[in-house]
Amino acid sequence: MNMHQKIKSFFNWQIILTLIVGLCLFSNQACSRDDRPVKIDLNEKMHIKPKLEQDVITYAYLPQYSHTTSYKRHHQIIKYLRTETGLNIKQIFPDTFDQHVTMVKNGKVDISFSNPFIYIQIADQFNAKAFARIVTIQDQENFRGQVICRADNKKIKTLKDCRDKTWIAVDRGSAGGYLFPLGLFYSHGIFQSDFKEIVFAPGPGAKQEKVVFAVHAGKYDIGTIREGTLNVVASRINTSDIRVISSTPLYPGWVYATRQNLDAKVIQKIKTALLALDFNKKGDRSILEAANFIKVIPASDPDFDPIRELASDLKVSK
Amino acid sequence: MFHIRKIKLEFKNQIYLVMFSLLMFLGLVTFFIVSSIMQDTMIEENKNRAVSMGVNLSARLIEPILTMDYFSMKKLVDETVLLSNDIYYTFVLDNDSNPIIHTFHNGFPAQLIHVNKVNEARTFSQQYLDTGKYRVYDYALPIFVDTNRLGTLRLGLLTTRVEKITRRIMLTALFSTVFSILIAALAGFLLFRPMTRNIKKLHEASEQAMRGDLNIHSAPVLQKNCWDIMNCSQKECPAYHNASQRCWYTAGTLCKTCAAGDYAKKILSCQQCKVYKACAGNEIQSLAESFDYMILSLKNHLAELNLTKEDVSKQKALLQTILDGLPDFVSLQNQKAEYISVNQAFCTMVGKTQHDILDKTARDLFDFPHGSTYLKEDIKVLETGKPLVMETTGMDTSGKKWIHVVKSPILKKNGAVSGLVSSGRDISDNKIIQEQLCQAQKMESVGQLAAGVAHEINTPLGIILGYAQILQEDVKPGSQVLEDLQLIEKHSKICSRIVADLLRFSRRIQSTITQFDIHHAIDDVLNMVEHTFTLDHVEIEKYFGTDLPSVKGDEEKIKQVFINLLNNAFDAIGKNGRVSIRTFFDSKNHSLVITIADTGSGILVKHLNKLFDPFFTTKGVGKGTGLGLSVTFGIIEEHGGTIQVDSRPAESKSIESRQASDKAPWPYGDYNTVFIITLPVSKNNKLEKY
Repeated sequence: MNMHQKIKSFFNWQIILTLIVGLCLFSNQACSRDDRPVKIDLNEKMHIKPKLEQDVITYAYLPQYSHTTSYKRHHQIIKYLRTETGLNIKQIFPDTFDQHVTMVKNGKVDISFSNPFIYIQIADQFNAKAFARIVTIQDQENFRGQVICRADNKKIKTLKDCRDKTWIAVDRGSAGGYLFPLGLFYSHGIFQSDFKEIVFAPGPGAKQEKVVFAVHAGKYDIGTIREGTLNVVASRINTSDIRVISSTPLYPGWVYATRQNLDAKVIQKIKTALLALDFNKKGDRSILEAANFIKVIPASDPDFDPIRELASDLKVSK
Repeated sequence: MFHIRKIKLEFKNQIYLVMFSLLMFLGLVTFFIVSSIMQDTMIEENKNRAVSMGVNLSARLIEPILTMDYFSMKKLVDETVLLSNDIYYTFVLDNDSNPIIHTFHNGFPAQLIHVNKVNEARTFSQQYLDTGKYRVYDYALPIFVDTNRLGTLRLGLLTTRVEKITRRIMLTALFSTVFSILIAALAGFLLFRPMTRNIKKLHEASEQAMRGDLNIHSAPVLQKNCWDIMNCSQKECPAYHNASQRCWYTAGTLCKTCAAGDYAKKILSCQQCKVYKACAGNEIQSLAESFDYMILSLKNHLAELNLTKEDVSKQKALLQTILDGLPDFVSLQNQKAEYISVNQAFCTMVGKTQHDILDKTARDLFDFPHGSTYLKEDIKVLETGKPLVMETTGMDTSGKKWIHVVKSPILKKNGAVSGLVSSGRDISDNKIIQEQLCQAQKMESVGQLAAGVAHEINTPLGIILGYAQILQEDVKPGSQVLEDLQLIEKHSKICSRIVADLLRFSRRIQSTITQFDIHHAIDDVLNMVEHTFTLDHVEIEKYFGTDLPSVKGDEEKIKQVFINLLNNAFDAIGKNGRVSIRTFFDSKNHSLVITIADTGSGILVKHLNKLFDPFFTTKGVGKGTGLGLSVTFGIIEEHGGTIQVDSRPAESKSIESRQASDKAPWPYGDYNTVFIITLPVSKNNKLEKY
């Protein structure tokens, strides 16, 4: 067979037809992937019943941050408390400071973890009682507020330079984020009317962070935050772009309080468990680090009188 | 078993079929591969889209879940479903797989809860569901806050969108493939059509060439030719307006850029020419052009070959004619001594036709033992390479023949013998002449000897004759002594006449050249012999021409010629006969002609050749010396004349026309022997030389 015949035989139509049929079979095989569906019947219905839990002790963290942050910080403590006390403790998430206060007032919050200014509100108005307070990571029982601006803002170097500037604060009820700095401005003869504008971070939640972001974005000249907030946002912005103009005096830190009429045994169990947290214990340490404090110490209502005085000076209604 | 008959397709159709089949094949392969890839991509994109939506929704659901904000959760899941028609459902399960929120109306489908589970190690899980009405890709995504799982988001995507897009992709791919195939087929058709047309044309041209018709133009006609491109007007250029042949194939073009010579010598320079760059086509066009060129060259070569063939045939015929015209036989033999070519003389010699001779050896052609001998000679020449020259005898139909043979070897460049050329010549006549020459030389020697002897004995003979005559005066008449002396005198005179003849034969007699009248000389001779002739009743008839010119020569010698001829005539007649003497002037040859005829007995044919030989005589002993006609011949030759004899005893021929037919009528009446003498009368008579 010569080359021409070989070529002819190679290209005869039977072979071509075979190739095409083979290709179709191959492609059909390729198209029909092993993707067999699971058959289900959507007609089999069920009704959702709300899970009603009995003897729930509610635990609320004043929403200075987002609910997620609040959850991240405190869900381990709650898990710890449930284990240690045997109580059905659940974290709830008020959207605002006012809602937090209202829920304490209405008894929907059994354990309130709030700043001292809120505490004096719920204590003085709704008989909440402090039973413990925290020691911060910086080993401080007290805390303070900070006045910040953009690092490249050359017009603002001291508190006096804050006159006629726009100011964003955390919340009217925020101790570190508004009241402590306001007291600081008062002590320097600067009053609300001396500012060009005073605004509060929009809610709900993440209000401390929003103040930092607003100043960082240059939307406002200065901002007031609780000390430690910059560490919270350090992973999201370059904190060296923010300059701390001044810090307020130290005031008593965040406080655990109970609503009125909560069972004393419950209070005692919780207090005991909280005070038992030891930063040096491996298990407790991760709980405390997540909550951003190193230990819980006993507290009583008179510990927060300096706050009451400040509120009085500022003529802030309790 | 089915047997499908193979359809014989033309090359053009084979190309189209193969091209279309390949396009179909590649198109379908491409279609299926591309559509498969696009389907996979679509499903993957759908999955990524679902996962993206799920991750986004999960993030947005964290806080509502934390706060157990059912309203927000419901709002989020409902909004998600509304984002796209293919999102069938969305719901959230808590860590105990209890539905928290969902988008179903009229209750939650219980079977959905457990069909797709995702553990903490995975970011999502996909499950393909068949609800009976729809087919759904179900995605399960865990909702995390840090490492704490809040629950599971489930998202159901109908396959309708994927199927719709897939169908659209398939259709688009199919249409694109079909369109591409059609475009490619059209392009291929347009591309291959000129190629297949050229190949078909080339094929037809080759068949035309095989049929012997070499007037072929398979190359396509160009849009522009060299004279257009070069703005050429040289009509004498062989490429000018020669559209059937490209200029780079044409020898002797007149372009300045063209190299001299044919294609092989000029193509390199032509390839740089703008004509070549503009007109040179693809390989098939070049093939067609080369084919045309080769056919043209073949045609020219064939024409030259035919001319050469004709010339060779003519030369061969001429050579054969020459060879056949040669009396010599010529033959050519190969290394096996077989005859491969012979001429007509050879054929005649062996008595066979050329066809019967070729491829045979000498042994096959000649009788034993000659054939074997000739073959041995041939083989010896072929083996030694040395030529052979010899004379040999042979017999043919006319009798014994003398043949001069030359056998020469044919040598190659390396000295080897490739054949043998033989030639042979019939030298029988030469041999006869040679014998005659020997005889003449012998006779000349005898003549010289005789002359010497005659000269030496002439004087003593004269003394003997003189004393014999003197002594007769002293003896008595009638005595015995006188008779003896008379006998001595008589024989002495015979001896004297013989000596005189010998001297004349040897030309030792001095000639006396004069201008004389031939009739006077004849009359003088007749006066001497007339009385003797009359006694025996021999009549002499004279027919003298008038106004004949005189002859320059030795009159006495001429008289001796007449005496000899008349004596011979008298001897031939004996008694009662006639002798005729006739003279006339041959103006054409400017000579005198004298004929002497007699009514004698004539001369035998066998004697005619020897008639003028010395010492040849038919007369009896003591009657003739055999020198008379010899002397006569010598005298006539001395005078620049000729002498011929015609005789008819029974058959008569002239000496000079012995080979001619003798059947012509005898022109001399009752005369049986005629001698015809011619003597030149020009002033430049040969005798003047003596």
